Order: sequence, then C-alpha cells, then structure tokens
Amino acid sequence: MPLEFLTPLIGDHMAPIMFIGLVVFLLSGYPVAFALAANGLMFALLGIGMGMFTPDFLQALPNRVFGIMANDTLLAIPFFTFMGLILERSGMAEDLLDTIGQLFGPIRGGLAFAVIFVGALLAATTGVVAASVISMGLISLPIMLRYGYDRKLASGVIAASGTLAQIIPPSLVLIIMADQLGRSVGDMYAGAMIPGLILTTMYVGYVALVAFFKPSHAPALPLEARSLTGSKLLIRSLLVLVPPLFLIFLVLGTIFLGIATPTEGGAMGASGALLLAMSKKKLNWSLVRQAVDSTAKLSSFVLFILVGATVFGLVFRGVNGDLWVEHLLTSLPGGELGFLIAVNILFFVLAFFLDFFELAFILVPLVGPVAEKMGIDLIWFGVLLGVNMQTSFMHPPFGFALFYLRSVAPGKKYIDKITGKMMDPITTKQIYWGAIPFVLIQIIMVALIIAFPDIVSVEKKEVFDDSQAEIVIDVEEEVQPTAQTNDSSNNQFKISTDEPGGKK
Amino acid sequence: MHALLSFSRLIDAINTKIGKGAAWLILAAVLVSTINALTRYGFSMSSNAWLELQWYLFAGTFLLCAPWTLKCNEHIRIDVVTGRYSPRVHAWIDIIGGLLFLIPMCLVILWSAVPFAWDSIASMENSSNAGGLIVWPAKLLIPVAFTLLLLQGASEVIKRFAFLQGLIDGKEFEKGGGHGATPDAVEVAEATTGNK
Repeated sequence: MPLEFLTPLIGDHMAPIMFIGLVVFLLSGYPVAFALAANGLMFALLGIGMGMFTPDFLQALPNRVFGIMANDTLLAIPFFTFMGLILERSGMAEDLLDTIGQLFGPIRGGLAFAVIFVGALLAATTGVVAASVISMGLISLPIMLRYGYDRKLASGVIAASGTLAQIIPPSLVLIIMADQLGRSVGDMYAGAMIPGLILTTMYVGYVALVAFFKPSHAPALPLEARSLTGSKLLIRSLLVLVPPLFLIFLVLGTIFLGIATPTEGGAMGASGALLLAMSKKKLNWSLVRQAVDSTAKLSSFVLFILVGATVFGLVFRGVNGDLWVEHLLTSLPGGELGFLIAVNILFFVLAFFLDFFELAFILVPLVGPVAEKMGIDLIWFGVLLGVNMQTSFMHPPFGFALFYLRSVAPGKKYIDKITGKMMDPITTKQIYWGAIPFVLIQIIMVALIIAFPDIVSVEKKEVFDDSQAEIVIDVEEEVQPTAQTNDSSNNQFKISTDEPGGKK
Repeated sequence: MHALLSFSRLIDAINTKIGKGAAWLILAAVLVSTINALTRYGFSMSSNAWLELQWYLFAGTFLLCAPWTLKCNEHIRIDVVTGRYSPRVHAWIDIIGGLLFLIPMCLVILWSAVPFAWDSIASMENSSNAGGLIVWPAKLLIPVAFTLLLLQGASEVIKRFAFLQGLIDGKEFEKGGGHGATPDAVEVAEATTGNK
C-alpha cells in the first residue's frame, strides 16, 4: 500500500484527526451535506491507502443510502413540514391570535399570555417554527407595541413561543432524535409531552412576574381595543379552537391511541390541513405549489445531510472513532452526571453555530451509544437534548426564530394604523436581548430534567429488548468493522425502529 | 467559456424541470399515506405495495430534488466564518468545494452505486415483503440522482468561474429561497401580508 509510511505517524490518531478535519471542512462554508461526505470519503481513501481497510469498505455506501430511502420514520419530516406550510397560509394562526388576544388582552400581560398559549397550540398541531413566529410577529407584535409593551419582552416572548414547536409533539426534532437513537417516535413524543408543558408554564410564569413587578412592561389593553364583547367573544373564542383541536386529535390523538404511526399521523395532519384550508377557501394552486416546492427542497437538504453524515459515520467508525469518543466521554470526571453536563454544554455551545439537523445527524449518533452503555435511557436522553437544542433557535445571533422575527418586525419608523402615532422600529439588539431570559429558562429546564428525571415519562416495555439487541451488534462491530457487519446492524436497527402496526 | 455556459444552462434547465416535477411526489405521498392509514383501520386492509409506495415517492422526491436544491443554493451552509467575505471569495469557496468535495463524492458513490443498481436490475429484484413492489427502480434512483447531482455540481463550478470573469451576474446563484429549517421568512411574510 502506497501510504503505509504514514501509519506510524497518524495510524493511532486517525479518529481525532478526522474529527478536526470535519470541523475545518464544515467551517469552509461549503454546504454541510457535501462537506460531511467528502470528509468521510477522504479519510476512507487515506485509510485504504494505509491498509487500514479494503476498498470493499466503500461498497456499503449504496446500501446505506438505500436504507435512508426506505426509512419510514423519516417520511414524517416532509409530512409535518407540508402540513405546517399549508396551515400557515390557512389563516388559522391569525384567527387564533386575534380572538385569544382579545380575550386575554385586558389583563396585565394578557397579550403575551395569548402569544404563549397560541404558540403552544400551534406547536401541538405541527412541528414548524417559522409559521408561528411569523404569524405572531405580524399580528401580535404591532398590537403589543401600540399599547406600550416593552420591546424586548414582546419580541422575546414571540420568538420563544415559536420555538415550542421544537419540543411539543409532533416536533421534527423528536422524530429525528428517535430515528438517530433507534427508539420509537411515539415513545419520544410521550416523553416530551410533560417537559413541553412545563416549559410553556415557565414562559407564562416569567411573563406573570414581569407583569407583576414591572406593570409598565406588559400593560393591560383598554377595553376599547376589543372589537367583540361579552358572549360573542366567548363563542368566537370557542369556535376558533375547533380547527387546532381537530388537527391535534388527528395527529397526536391517533398516534397516542395507537391508531396511526407518527408517519401516518403526519400524513393525516397534512390532509387535514388541506381540508381546513379548503373549507376556508384559502386553498389554491399557487399555495399548494409553493408548499410542495418548499417541502421538497427542505426534505432534500435534510436527507442529504443525513446521507453525508452516514458516509462520515461509516468511515469514522471504521477508524474506531466511536471508541475514541466513548473513551473521551467516559473518562470525564463525575461519571454519569459529568457526562450529562459535558454533553449538554457541548450541545448548547455548538447550537450557537449549528442547526439542530447538523447536531442531530453528526453528534447524536456519537454520544447516543455512550449514553446507552452508561445505562441512560435513550428516550429520556433524547428529550433532554431536544430541550437543549431548542435553544439553537433562540441563540443570538444565528437563532432562526430571531431571524424570522427580524424579517417581519418593523425595521423602520412607522405610523400606527389605529392611533396614528409615529412608532419606533424594533432594533435587532432588542430582539437579541429579549431572547436571553428565555434561553435562561431553557437552561433551567435542562437542569430540572437532569435533577428530576421522572419529568420525562419513559415506558419501559419494549425499550429493554432494543438495547439488548444493540449491545450485541456493538460487540460485533468492534471485533470486525467490515462493511458487511455494518449493513446487518443497519437492518437490525430498522427492524427495531419499526412502529407498531407498520409492515406486517 | 460560452460553450461551457450554455452547457451549464442546459443542466440547470433540466434539473429545475426534474426537481419541480419530483416535488409533486410529496403530495402523492401524503395522499397515499393517508389512504393507507384510513383503509387499514377503517377496513382492516393493508397492502405492502401501497406501504412501500410511500417511501418510493419520498425517496424520489429528495433524491431528484437535490440537484435543483443545489441550483437554488439551498443546501445548508455554516457561514459563521466565511459569511462576511466578498462574493468573489464565496465563488472561490464554491469552486474549490465543488471540485474537491461534491464532484469526487458523486464519483465515489456512482462507482459503488452503479454495480449495486445493476445487480438488482439483472436479477429483477423484488421486495422481500409479500406482495411488495419491485425493488430495482428504487435502487436505480441512486445512480440516476447522483449523476444529475454531479452534472449540477459541474454547472455550479462553471457559473462561479463565469462570475469571476465577469460574464454573469452573481445574483444568478444567490440563495433562491432562504436558508434553514423552514422556508424563507421574508418570502412567507410577503405572501402572508399580501393575502391580507
């Protein structure tokens, strides 16, 4: 082999060198999917040149791609995205914000409560952040500014409520977590339910504290701001709740009752959203085309990151990178707690720069097996990381929720339509500062889950069998990291992640 | 260079057509999956062929839309370090990345995927699930998609060179619709406010 002279030099350090190489490749600014794959392939060729493995090793690639194609769980990604995009244009969020805002408005902090409530409701219907942030930024923000809400509080509460879509089922984060950790999506959803609700409550608590101690930051709306009153308002409020509750039943209800798999739940939700838009006469050709186009592009880049991460992962395990990571993480002081704290800090810091897709596809497969060997339940671990990664949407300056809010918040001075007064714009700095209290709440939530693990309800039934099966595979892989074994582990994995009621 | 540019335009046009067409498979997948769920629990009927069709459709979408997504410059990048550099530097990054990352990746995958698909076609491979679909068209998708992606990669490199020579406007390969976990916020916002 031509490159064997390199063996004494780097042979023992291939994994760390490859990892550093990955960081450089990713920071190059070239699309992540291809940088990941190129890094994997470059080190595969290096490894082949040094005689670490044979060219046959790369024959496993098409099978891996095929495994991704045939993955039923990932099918939920386009379904929920499509559903979110259709819902966004169906006017459901607008109706909710308008009515619930009027209902709660006259209490101190009421509009902010309405935003959180509607944010949680939208989060439970779909898994897309942009939709809620944009509707709330367009509808609630101008009203909050008109009546003198603190700008930081107003923008922070909107951005944070939008990110609830990431943790309250049916969220895309949880689907990908379940897929990467080899657990069922349904269990992951069940585990995330209570943390999602606690988080919502903590947002409400924060707003209540602000409203109590600094009333001028979250004033009550004057009653004239209502266009509806009395029983009319009450009936209208109940009516607007029907569509989201119907969708929540269609998606979450059917999943939790075991009638549908999460993938089918997503499909039914998407169909339901189409029906809803049709009933509101908002469905037209260009709307569907835009939704289809955006969904296709999003699916394409997400799945290609997964393809790239799979190429990287295959080679990284080939150079014993998994053992290196395991050694690194298990040698941390403090045992399990030390591991959890280190992993959470790592994710929190990386979330400043990376999307959750990148974190989930690159890092989760590396830390997941280590967590499992330490005896940590992977559902619990997945929900914990999910709450942590939710902050990646709120981190200044790259958080997407902030970015979406910026795009719809007034950037120049404007004249308020109702009062006719000249209003100051929302500065980017205000948006950034506004997010910080909510990032802190998120950190508190992560700490709470670690301190009180029972917050995440974990069902013990099938989980145990899965983990047993996987440990066996791990051993095999260590002994003989050939392409063939990797394939069989891939298949095993698939079988164990099949949903109940799937293929029979 | 002009010949190369017309080649690049041709690839762009083909991949845009394929991508926009394949995107509709998403809607088909939604409907197929909904019907699968309803018939199984409504009438206790289930068919492996229909279950497999869901992922066939989705695999078709994400594989065949990848070149178009590349053309629209919507594959996620990490631009923390390189974000503030000039368009010329970005063009160079894309040239080097295209030549060193994307094109070699496509070639290696094609090298292994062509025999993979060929074996399947030669044996007229069927699904291992009873009553499932034929498998070889799905396996054939892999080399087809990576060939298209390879061509699109070449087209992108050509366009960047043309830009550096001042032959085309840099706007041509700017992000077609934003970056990130969800569609472009501004575009959506405009559509939403437009409706009002």
